[in-house]
Amino acid sequence: MIDVNHLSKDYLLKKKEPGLKGALKGLIRPQYEVIHAVRDLSFHIDEGEIVGFIGPNGAGKSTTIKMMSGILTPTEGSVLINGENITEHRKTVVRNIGVVFGQRSQLNWDLRLGETFELLKHIYEIDPVDYENTLEVMDGILGIKELIDKPVRQMSLGQRVKGDLTASMLHSPRVLFLDEPTIGLDVSSKFALRRFIREINEIRKTTVILTTHDLGDIKELCERLIIINHGVMMEDGKLNQIVDRIAPYKTLVVEYYDEQAPEHEKCEMTSHEGNIAKYRFMKKDITAAELIADLSKQKEIKDVSIEEAGIDDIIKIAYGS
Amino acid sequence: MKRNVFRELRHYLDVTAQVIRMAVLTVFEYPSNIAGWLISNPLQFIMGFAIIKFVVESFGEINGWNYGQLAVLYGISVISHALSMIFFVQGWFMGYYVMDGDFDRYLTRPLGVLYQFFFTNINIFGITDLIPGILVFVYGCMKCGLQITWYFVIQVIVMLIGATLIRGGIYILLGSTSFHTRSAVDFGQYTQEIMDKTTMYPISMYPESMQFILTYLIPIGWVSFYPVSGLLGIENGVCNGFFVSFITLAAGILVMLLAGAYFTAGLKKYESAGN
Repeated sequence: MIDVNHLSKDYLLKKKEPGLKGALKGLIRPQYEVIHAVRDLSFHIDEGEIVGFIGPNGAGKSTTIKMMSGILTPTEGSVLINGENITEHRKTVVRNIGVVFGQRSQLNWDLRLGETFELLKHIYEIDPVDYENTLEVMDGILGIKELIDKPVRQMSLGQRVKGDLTASMLHSPRVLFLDEPTIGLDVSSKFALRRFIREINEIRKTTVILTTHDLGDIKELCERLIIINHGVMMEDGKLNQIVDRIAPYKTLVVEYYDEQAPEHEKCEMTSHEGNIAKYRFMKKDITAAELIADLSKQKEIKDVSIEEAGIDDIIKIAYGS
Repeated sequence: MKRNVFRELRHYLDVTAQVIRMAVLTVFEYPSNIAGWLISNPLQFIMGFAIIKFVVESFGEINGWNYGQLAVLYGISVISHALSMIFFVQGWFMGYYVMDGDFDRYLTRPLGVLYQFFFTNINIFGITDLIPGILVFVYGCMKCGLQITWYFVIQVIVMLIGATLIRGGIYILLGSTSFHTRSAVDFGQYTQEIMDKTTMYPISMYPESMQFILTYLIPIGWVSFYPVSGLLGIENGVCNGFFVSFITLAAGILVMLLAGAYFTAGLKKYESAGN
């Protein structure tokens, strides 16, 4: 479906020196510095996958997704969508992709939402029957029909995002790119957006590629994660596999009846405050059930809970390295 | 899937019709703007022409051009200006689109980027410049006692298309520098000033070095001076006759092709904008 081969993007950045003298020097003989925003990325994405791109700000996520959607010209390497190079055959390849970029809307600000849809219908030469069908599906997921006659300038951010999502799906693209789609959304809009992604993936088998900083998005949507930092791929794999590898432990939280807490040789007590003790154990060493059984033999237990190594831990570890 | 040229053309025309429909709807969305444009734009050019009238009446003629002939020249200048305002005015603001990452949207749609840039921002208000242009042109034709023949009509249409393309091409060339400089400069004011001063009056009144530049380097002379002198049979020292308007058209196409190539090269360096 999508093949990314040795993709790189360099930027030239003008070096700025301080002061008036530096400014003059930069004017007469500008010195450039090459910034490697993305370095030698290669991966393959299959039809129907939902892939999350994560990484800190400035890691090269957006640059990658913009090269994949034909906006930026790669310095080196290529992006093939359905076997066609997007840089060389932009106009044909983009018929198969939809794009929603954060807070940048493609809706016509001055007119009712329906006018933008109408324009897209002409731009993508959408068959009227398909158009109605898609609108029906989108109405089911996002309730778009009640917004269709509303001028875009009067919409809330959440409503605009719904409009943009529908706009991006009108031509039934095989691939949908979302760059930080949940940014600035309230809880219910976020929920609607996630439901949208899951349902178009299920109903239409749309491949979804998104960048996000939202842990909830990742947890609920992405089966596969690609972690990028400093323009280099750090991790690529199934979410749970990455979790198992980077953080192969869980934490058992035990509440006792008093402040005495027993130790256990197969785990490490990471904190002990009052009646509550936390044990971090490796999944391969011992199961939670065994640990609870062992501990309860030594001391009466009031309550237990298990904390999975969260995605936030993964991100912290992956970003830090 | 090979798409043939006629289907492609029909597709573009279909989108253009929709875009114009949206532009008209937008005009009606803000009715108070209409009144303003309808008054201020025509007034600007009527005043401009009043100045020429005053000058000519005081001095008799400008460089061998009498009052009626100057009116024709002025008319062609303003009409081609108005047409370039309708179709190409966005070129003035290209730098802001580059800096704000607004080309993202055009690049992800299956149409030419330059086409989308100009046509999805088509400026219907440009029509308000068209009205004074046509008025002054018709008035000049009457003053000169011109016979309206097929020859005449063809020349006028051809020179207007060429002149609009020259102007549009220059806007694109200037605007596309933003891809390389990565800064937004509003070229509108400067271009408008220069264009006004070089297309509303006969360029034969300028020093020879400037005439040379305006003829061969920056082909602004071909916007109105040469084709109109050809139309009216006024000797201009470079070229005369029926075919001058076609040279204008050729110059227009050449400038456009050049501008297109420069724009495309710039677009490869396009960096979008961070979120």
